Amino acid sequence: MSGEPPALRVNGRAVALDDVPGDERLLDTLRWRLGLRGTKEGCRSGGCGACTVLVDGRGRLSCLALTRELEGSSVMTVEGAADDPVGRTVQEAFVQEGAAQCGYCTPGFVMAVTGLLRGRGDARPTSEVLRGLGGNLCRCTGYVAIARAVERARQELR
Amino acid sequence: MAPPELLTPTTEEGAVAELVATAPGTVAVLAGGTDLLLDLEERRLEPRRLLSLRRLPWNRHAWEGGGLTLGSTEPLSALEEDPQLPVRLPALAQGIAAVGSPALRLQATVGGNLGRSAPASDLTPVLLALDAEVELLGTAGARRMPVDRFLRASRETALGPGELIRSVRIPEDRPSSAYRWQRVRPAHDISQIGVAVAYAPRERRWGVSLGGAPPRPRLVPEAAAELHGPRPPEAEVAAASERLARDPALVSDRRASDEHRRRLAAVLCTRAVRAALSPPVAEPT
Repeated sequence: MSGEPPALRVNGRAVALDDVPGDERLLDTLRWRLGLRGTKEGCRSGGCGACTVLVDGRGRLSCLALTRELEGSSVMTVEGAADDPVGRTVQEAFVQEGAAQCGYCTPGFVMAVTGLLRGRGDARPTSEVLRGLGGNLCRCTGYVAIARAVERARQELR
Repeated sequence: MAPPELLTPTTEEGAVAELVATAPGTVAVLAGGTDLLLDLEERRLEPRRLLSLRRLPWNRHAWEGGGLTLGSTEPLSALEEDPQLPVRLPALAQGIAAVGSPALRLQATVGGNLGRSAPASDLTPVLLALDAEVELLGTAGARRMPVDRFLRASRETALGPGELIRSVRIPEDRPSSAYRWQRVRPAHDISQIGVAVAYAPRERRWGVSLGGAPPRPRLVPEAAAELHGPRPPEAEVAAASERLARDPALVSDRRASDEHRRRLAAVLCTRAVRAALSPPVAEPT
């Protein structure tokens, strides 16, 4: 262990963890400690994907992550998506395709898709990307517009 | 009640020492957290300390000695990415793909799945059919035991108070193996029934196990005894499936009726053996 005080990066900004209790979830740290309310609380048990954020570039369910365990990691929330080339493209694609109705699941979808399309993810077949979204629920859209947004984002990133 | 203190030891000796230094019942061991965190949330557990295994070097797997050693804290997603898995141990690849959603599998671990002894686990029937052994580490050193002996009941294992699951060992490749399951909504529900089958080439016998039925996943040797040799004929597959469907564990609960479970057990057993006999291909399950 280094002598550095425990910290986490959230959307590029260092966040000190000294006062964070051992059982606090990343979801609560983001929403209530940092005021980043874009990340949504859905089922709070890992079943709906509304709270998905990126941790070190991969989609993670923030309701099932303990903040203190992520010391040294980099977190990206939907508030940081516009500053990321892939995240921005995914957001744009969701807008263009009208891939939201009530919008509650949208931040989770945007982050999950961003995680799946990062790296060389845009080379994956769309079916594989959609399978990766198996844990993200939308109760309004029937997923058709979301699938179109995924395809649009994938094409634009190629 | 004060929030629990999070401990993140970086060595296995340190982890065991922390565990032993804490009164039994006041510490919860944390691997991926996909199951434990739900108990903390609902206050079914109120530990004083959380012992995280995340920084231990137990998060990788190795193909060795003709089989596979799984580190207890490796996320299932990392195993999924190994192209050898569907060829050498197809049942395990299919069992892993059956666990939750892709996002959940980035966190969920083999050790956590075993240690929590969930009654409807999709991994434990597979580990049983593959004759897996669990390696436990305590102050007196390591000991091994078959998964079948390790799992006692729902939420109950043979893990001692000062012990941790270090690894899981699958003794040999079982290319003729498969796992089939049924649930209402694939990514979100718990399996109503899971059936794992595997042919052990050295011992020239089959293993058949049943999951999703109480009290815990277990081997059904009576069904396996109907199957003979590496390529059992259809009549033997039918006999094994019928035998499995008569298993007394197939009872009614809130997930399925006994009648539904019996039919599923027979159908899934037949499909699993047929899949095990087909050449390995990358297939979505």
